[in-house]
Amino acid sequence: MVARLRGPGMIRAALGTALGIAVSYVIIFIMRSWYDLDPVLDGFAVLELSLFLAPIGFLIGLGAFDYWFHYMSGRPTRPEDHSGHGAKTWRDYFRVNTDHKVIGIQYVVTSFFFFFVGGLFAMLMRAELAQPGRQFVDPNTFNGLFSVHASLLIFLFIIPVFAGLANYVLPLMIGAPDMIFPRLNALSFWMLPLAGIMMLMSFAAPGGSFASGWTAYAPLSVTAPEGQVFFTIGVQFAGASSIATALNFLATIITMRAPGMSFFRMPLLVWANFSTSLLVVIATPFIAVSQFMVLFDRSLGFNFFDPVDGGDVLMYQHIFWFYSHPAVYIMMLPGFGIISEIIAVKSRKPIFGYRMMAFSLLAIVVLGFTVWAHHMFVSGMQDWIRVPMMITTAIIAVPTGIKIFSWLATLWRGVLHLDTPMLFALGFLSMFTLGGISGVMLAIIPVTIHVSDTYFIVAHIHYVLFGGSLLTIFAGVYYWFPKMTGRMYDERLGKLHFWTTFIFFNATFAPMHIIGVQGMPRRVADYAEEWAGWNLAISIMSFFLGVSALIFAYNMIASWRGGPRAESNPWRALTIEWQVSSPPPIFNFDSLPTVVGGPYEYGVPGAVHAVFKDAEVPQPAGATASGAGRGHGSGSAEDKE
Amino acid sequence: MEAGSISAGIALDHHDDHHDDHHGPPMANRSSRVSHEILGMLLFIISEIMVFGAFFTAYFFIRLVAEGHRWFPFEGFELPVAIAGMNTAILLSSSLTMHWAQTSIKNGNRFGLKAGMLLTSLLGLTFLFIQINEYVHIGFSPQDHAQGTIFYGLTGLHGAHVFVGLTLLVMVTVRAFRGHFTPEHHHGVEVPGIYWHFVDVMWIVVYTAIYIV
Repeated sequence: MVARLRGPGMIRAALGTALGIAVSYVIIFIMRSWYDLDPVLDGFAVLELSLFLAPIGFLIGLGAFDYWFHYMSGRPTRPEDHSGHGAKTWRDYFRVNTDHKVIGIQYVVTSFFFFFVGGLFAMLMRAELAQPGRQFVDPNTFNGLFSVHASLLIFLFIIPVFAGLANYVLPLMIGAPDMIFPRLNALSFWMLPLAGIMMLMSFAAPGGSFASGWTAYAPLSVTAPEGQVFFTIGVQFAGASSIATALNFLATIITMRAPGMSFFRMPLLVWANFSTSLLVVIATPFIAVSQFMVLFDRSLGFNFFDPVDGGDVLMYQHIFWFYSHPAVYIMMLPGFGIISEIIAVKSRKPIFGYRMMAFSLLAIVVLGFTVWAHHMFVSGMQDWIRVPMMITTAIIAVPTGIKIFSWLATLWRGVLHLDTPMLFALGFLSMFTLGGISGVMLAIIPVTIHVSDTYFIVAHIHYVLFGGSLLTIFAGVYYWFPKMTGRMYDERLGKLHFWTTFIFFNATFAPMHIIGVQGMPRRVADYAEEWAGWNLAISIMSFFLGVSALIFAYNMIASWRGGPRAESNPWRALTIEWQVSSPPPIFNFDSLPTVVGGPYEYGVPGAVHAVFKDAEVPQPAGATASGAGRGHGSGSAEDKE
Repeated sequence: MEAGSISAGIALDHHDDHHDDHHGPPMANRSSRVSHEILGMLLFIISEIMVFGAFFTAYFFIRLVAEGHRWFPFEGFELPVAIAGMNTAILLSSSLTMHWAQTSIKNGNRFGLKAGMLLTSLLGLTFLFIQINEYVHIGFSPQDHAQGTIFYGLTGLHGAHVFVGLTLLVMVTVRAFRGHFTPEHHHGVEVPGIYWHFVDVMWIVVYTAIYIV
């Protein structure tokens, strides 16, 4: 029993959490008695400190810091014996695991859990909005619902699910046995569920959950009820998690590529995650600081955003959007990478303009930092900032346009395999273009002034995040499902999922453009009688959209449990992750592959991406150079017109 | 599959030198001359610079943009430029001793490593004490006005970094006295050293912005 308590695991984590809360009580007691404050034990003060210390206690208890504590105390460190790699039972997913494949699955499953919770909140909102007047929830709860909906889906779903997919496939793609900092990788995963649970717990706070939107503008967030701090502090953990992962990706890509894998032989998913990680490392500190400032203003009476004492309210929006505009590219660039993989493989053609695809990613990274104030056209900031921001915003459509046209050119005269991943990829192309076009409209200042804070904005953001990011996520999950689970998903259910999602997504969000232009305000639980018809239709369609997500859930769970075994390379792809078995061996490779060509040479006679040196070692299905050769061979046969 | 990979691993042992432990993964290829520890620290420092950048944004707005903007000295509040300047000298000299420790271990001089690390830690600690002493005697609080908020915000943020850096330094010192680190393997000194130099350089920026400009 004592051994179980001392050993890392969930029991010690529970103890650590309790200890974290206890320590918060002690610290608050000491500090408040020192300053002679009354009452000595302030509940909110203890709560806010606990929100930091309890998760840290949990992480320590779980064992995320064990190695570093050993190192810090100067004792000889236990060398990594790799006994922790792999997962044999479901319990292995509930401990600190340093295997990037296990962490990848932990990430994806956790973020899909929050996807369904966040989607449920959307259903509740649509139920409330089905008719004018008050139906199910009071206005404050409604505000809480849309705030938690956005926060969960942005910070706990879209950003981490991309990190999860990349965690699984990126080391395989570059021919690395693992990520470069496996312990940091495990730590950054475990911060994530903590942030999500924290945001969900806010519903139990006095005054309801945080209700100031995912943007948490000051001074609203400074004066909001206590539920706000669950967002303020939850974001710190989600942000720390994504910085740590991004740092890990960058270092892995730079230092661990297989022999011969030059930067311009990397698959575009690797390029996409390289650029995304740059954005994360540079931008994410800004949201962390903005939330710290809110916390200081709220809890300690600082004056960052208090204009009476010389602070500046608009400063919050500048700092916030300096992160949150690059964040929309953090939520989109990995999706671009996924789509590049799928479109090249499924149309059996080399990607068109590979180098331009890579450079346009980097261009988006740079330009992404120059457009933040286009979110603030109606905020009352200095007028002279507006036009430069309008111009840079229009310019950023250029590298994005390069990518769209490159994908179209890749499709041109390809042999299209219209299975589920490809359908989602094509759905992404069309929907994201629409979302991008309404984005360019919103860059135009007069248009923004007209439609600001209306459903037009809701429609735009859902066309880029649902029609853009989410469709790429579905595409990626279907595409790598055989690799991650070793099973095939049900193709018919997959197609059904695509068509229901695609149709009901449009039926839900397209009408929002119209009611938005007519002036229906967003983020309000009630609306005028004239929009009743549209809203009822939108609500009904959104419920069908919700049902379509259940098809996906059923397909994934049923196929993972009992789907037919997947071959190592069902898509006949050239990239390295498909040249090992499904799921990959516990250490990815028995010996490292050597990269000898580009990753997308489909249909090019004699082209090989990677070869395995030890060809004489008996390999399970398709893990050798001949596997790569076979993929290209049959591909080229098909591509001849 | 696992059976396959293990048998393959055993087969490798006969003709592959670096596979002494066939239970482990294959050795990763090193595709960059930069070591991953140093690269990781540099990337982390980029993030840290942006944390300071966000606070400097606040400084910029409060000092130059906000309604009724003003800066010290006002209403009888003055910043102790001279004392803070002395403190700057203390912190900068700690960078020199850090550098001494780093070059010492590279040349195999264990005494230099130990003395350098000890001196660096003590200088860092002195800096922190003078800083706290300054807080106690400065006469205004962060709650008084936005100028106080950003003064405590920037110097406090930097102080927190000094504290983190000191923790790393103490760690290195303990390990140095326990006989760790060799001329060949001294990333454990080098990486915290990079962080410490960063903290020092950041202080020059903070000092210039707060006290001098």
